Amino acid sequence: MSLYIFYISNFLLLLCLTASLIQFGKIINNKIFTRPGVIVLAYVQLISILLSFLILIYLFLISDFNFDLVYFNSHSEKPLIYKFSGVWGNHEGSMLLWILILVLFNFLFALSRRISERFKEITVAVQSIMIFGFVAFLFFLSNPFALNQNNFFDGIGLNPILQDPLLAIHPPVLYVGYVGFSLVFSLAIAGLITKEVDQQWASIVKPWVFSAWAFLTAGIALGSFWAYYELGWGGYWFWDPVENASLMPWIAATALIHCVLILQKRNVMQSWTIILAILTFSLSLVGTFLVRSGILNSVHTFASDPGRGLFILLFIFLILVFSFSLFAYNSEKINKINSMGLVSRGTGIQVNNWLLITILTIVFLGTMYPLATDLLLNKSLTVGPKYYSTTIAPIIILFLFFMFISPRLGWTDTKLYKIIIQLRYFIITSLTITLIISLYFELFNLTEILIIFFSLLLVISSMTASINFNKQNILVRTNLGQNLAHAGFGILMMAVVSNAVYSEERIYNAKVGDNLQLQKYIFSFDKIEQVEESNYNSLKAYFLMKKDGKLIDTFTPEIRFYSNPPTITSEASILHKFFSDIYLVMNVPQDQQSISVRMHIKPFMTILWLGTLMIIIGGIISASIRIGRVGEK
Amino acid sequence: MSSLVKSRLIKFLLSLIIVSIAVLIIIFNLRDNIIYFYGPTDLLKNSDKQGQIMRLGGLVSVDSFQNETDSIFYFSITDGENEIDVKYEGILPNLFAEDKGVVVEGVYMNDGRFIANKVLAKHDENYMPPEVIETLKKSGKWQGE
Repeated sequence: MSLYIFYISNFLLLLCLTASLIQFGKIINNKIFTRPGVIVLAYVQLISILLSFLILIYLFLISDFNFDLVYFNSHSEKPLIYKFSGVWGNHEGSMLLWILILVLFNFLFALSRRISERFKEITVAVQSIMIFGFVAFLFFLSNPFALNQNNFFDGIGLNPILQDPLLAIHPPVLYVGYVGFSLVFSLAIAGLITKEVDQQWASIVKPWVFSAWAFLTAGIALGSFWAYYELGWGGYWFWDPVENASLMPWIAATALIHCVLILQKRNVMQSWTIILAILTFSLSLVGTFLVRSGILNSVHTFASDPGRGLFILLFIFLILVFSFSLFAYNSEKINKINSMGLVSRGTGIQVNNWLLITILTIVFLGTMYPLATDLLLNKSLTVGPKYYSTTIAPIIILFLFFMFISPRLGWTDTKLYKIIIQLRYFIITSLTITLIISLYFELFNLTEILIIFFSLLLVISSMTASINFNKQNILVRTNLGQNLAHAGFGILMMAVVSNAVYSEERIYNAKVGDNLQLQKYIFSFDKIEQVEESNYNSLKAYFLMKKDGKLIDTFTPEIRFYSNPPTITSEASILHKFFSDIYLVMNVPQDQQSISVRMHIKPFMTILWLGTLMIIIGGIISASIRIGRVGEK
Repeated sequence: MSSLVKSRLIKFLLSLIIVSIAVLIIIFNLRDNIIYFYGPTDLLKNSDKQGQIMRLGGLVSVDSFQNETDSIFYFSITDGENEIDVKYEGILPNLFAEDKGVVVEGVYMNDGRFIANKVLAKHDENYMPPEVIETLKKSGKWQGE
């Protein structure tokens, strides 16, 4: 049985390879490669990969340990959902998922209408050559369907920190984001080849680039949320190299979506948009490369292999060489001279583009510097998180200012003082609130005060702009996606700053019966129990949280002892309140009498996630609503 | 020189200056926040590093672990050749044990002791930090493959 599956699945991979080659052939000679048509081939690509992915899921669900991948990454006693999510908790499976999303995007694009045949053919061809590259990589270098000769009775198991419901969705969502930019890249290359990077091009690209961006944002947020409650360190962002690897394409993509908008409205910045499209996709590949190569010492290196990293590195190199030569050859022909006013919305967006690129450089240097010294000087070092916060914070202030002012400016030259006078009430309100906050909470750091002030300004002005009544008191359609996302960003920044300033941590060694204090709360250590679950045993402590003698909640931090593979994890117990989270985590007893308990008060965590959610929803709205038709003045 | 070339040159030089200033600021900030990693032998060779924040890694020496109170601990970190005494106040991670790999972050004091403020946690009991493997290989005590 396993042998048949082995043949069928490998055949499917080869089928996809062939179909992708023919798709690519159309770009060279569309006389010879007329049939089968683009859509038929896209179906073949999609169905072959979808089937092999389903087969892999089936193998994990029935725990067929004749396959190496299942043997190394699964265990028969694992709960069903983790057998399922374990499919992409490893290198080969996650690459197959990556390819599945790649062919899915290709397929959806091939089906889209109102795009000229030639333009579609070229885009699909570029996309198909990438599919070919990745499927070849999968087939030859990391085949998920490799058989072993032994009759293993049971598998080794999935890393327990990955056994979590959020992990079932974090990688797929992140991948939809990463891979979505492959289509944007293909569209950019097609635009370069046809020399048509114009308003028409921008409106084709817009829904794809916005949805990829929204998914990438959601993927990063899910990962951050997962780290917050699963790793038990009490933080949501650690400037860990892998987190940075996903942040870098996000920063480039944020610049890109704004450029696509300007291009659509004003037909300017063609070259810069193309450069950003290439950069975003290359950084997405770097993200994959850094995580998969194992050169990063990080919590994420569970699915890694140094040899395979070389392939992705080579792939990035080829893409960069090819696309930039094409760009150098054709860039003069795509640029059209259209001017924008000096004090205008376009200039504001351009300034923020540069600020984003500066932040990107900061993150890039901080991430790559330790790798470079390790490789070149054989010296091991880490870059402290303070580097990022102190370097980026001043830029964020400027960034927030331009985010606030730019949408209020017109596309042509505007008088700045008139705008400021128009916005005087916003400015006065924000100034007052900031003053009250800083006096009441004794916040006297200039950077923090300025970030809070401009964030408030951004939030208030975006919120007001999204609710707009016309003269008949009817709610008129506004740029809801943009305003929601911008307000969300302001809320996020306020939450980040206040969280960093007001977090509090207490560490206790506690025995049953002890009363521990954290601010105005008392925690009574009630009891400790042993619990047996199907795939782990755990020690569960019960803390009763009281305020003024009244019971408010019960906290149950846990330590879990997994046996397949042998690992110990701490499970935090978190109470989410609107203004602050209370977070308890405990560690293995050093002696019999006491356990170590770490308690955190984390202010504004709920608001922080809320801001992030607003950004994501804003992105989805912008992706799905067509605002401003082509050529609209 | 025509006026067009001249204005382009001025623009180019201006942006060059701005970019270089930005890069310098970033690099100085980076230098201030770098945390170096040392093994015990490395650290003894670099005794001028006293007073800086750094990471130290190796194996927890056998029979070196003591606790003064419930949250103040003493132990030594060894690479098989040299040992450094560490004092740490806080919570020890779940998998902390003698003869296992460990990485601590803190300050190397003038009296040769290391005051740690963090013990970096790892989740897998067979996991060995790559830096520690490197340290043990340097001192010839590495037993793995």
